Amino acid sequence: MDTQFLVSLALIVATFALYIGIAIFNTAKQTSDFYVADRGVPPVFNGMAIGADWMSAASFIGMAGTVMLLGYDGLAYIMGWTGGYLLLTFLLAPQLRKYGRYTVPEFIGDRYKSDLARLIAAAATIIISFTYSVGQLSGSGVVIGRLLEVNTAVGTLIGVVLIAFYSALGGMKGITWTQVAQYVVLITAYVIPVVFMAMQMTSSPLPWISYGEVVSEFSALDQELGISEYLVPFTEGSKWQFLALMFTLMAGTAACLT
Amino acid sequence: MRKIDKKTADAYFRTRTTLIIIYLAIGFSVSYGVVFFAEPLSSITFLNMPLHYYMGAQGAVLTFIFLLFANAIISDIVDKKFGLLDFDHKGNEDETGHQS
Repeated sequence: MDTQFLVSLALIVATFALYIGIAIFNTAKQTSDFYVADRGVPPVFNGMAIGADWMSAASFIGMAGTVMLLGYDGLAYIMGWTGGYLLLTFLLAPQLRKYGRYTVPEFIGDRYKSDLARLIAAAATIIISFTYSVGQLSGSGVVIGRLLEVNTAVGTLIGVVLIAFYSALGGMKGITWTQVAQYVVLITAYVIPVVFMAMQMTSSPLPWISYGEVVSEFSALDQELGISEYLVPFTEGSKWQFLALMFTLMAGTAACLT
Repeated sequence: MRKIDKKTADAYFRTRTTLIIIYLAIGFSVSYGVVFFAEPLSSITFLNMPLHYYMGAQGAVLTFIFLLFANAIISDIVDKKFGLLDFDHKGNEDETGHQS
């Protein structure tokens, strides 16, 4: 067992211990009046919890590689996922909130006075969330499997058990606070390596402003080696495929988050 | 919940709808609009990157975030103007329920 393994294991165990700790702490305090207690989450923390949704397994593990491989065409995912929050905020959330309902199926059932409509909406929601969870959970399986040197399938099962444990314990409030912790953990994990790499490569600690020159160098190198044309749009598909992918990502994110 | 006058409700609805249309128009033009005109825009350089790439990587996302903040501030002002502040604070449920 080398040091690197021990350090990563310690970090993962500490992270899950933190999430489970938060969940336990929050159940003990609010066995009754679940929903009213939930309104005590301040907006900034709620925002952090929603931010943690964006930085999910797919964004964390897959995004950098996707953009690296696809070049400009990979950016459809960035704009699509983030644009989903725009649709959610403008078209879904305020209407649901003003109406006093919390889920789309409830709203649709009341709006059309039909249990069938409610059932269809509920089924659609479950299908969307299920598809989403499959991706997220297999992501956790890859990470846990790599670390513990077990099969990805076994890793996925370990991940499912851990996540089910802390979400069932904590309920809505527990999940929100767990996600706040997740936000802090993920932001730290994103920013630290990027800042250090930026300091080495561009001698500026702000990669968001200085990474343009790296992109240009990268693109020139790419063309020289004839791998792909990094900055050239629509090399992986047509413009219309790009636009359609972006639209499905936006609508899907908006539907998934409600 | 107290009753709101029909005329006030209609005016409120119109204001909200107009604002939402404006936000979405801006949001769509920086994402779909830029993608649609990606080839002509690629000759412009911003922060050492071609503009179409910059907009995809940062510009569109920053605009989205700006719009979300603008919406939060303007909505509060509109709600206050129509005297609907209490109504808006009724349910403060978070929308993250289905994810973890």
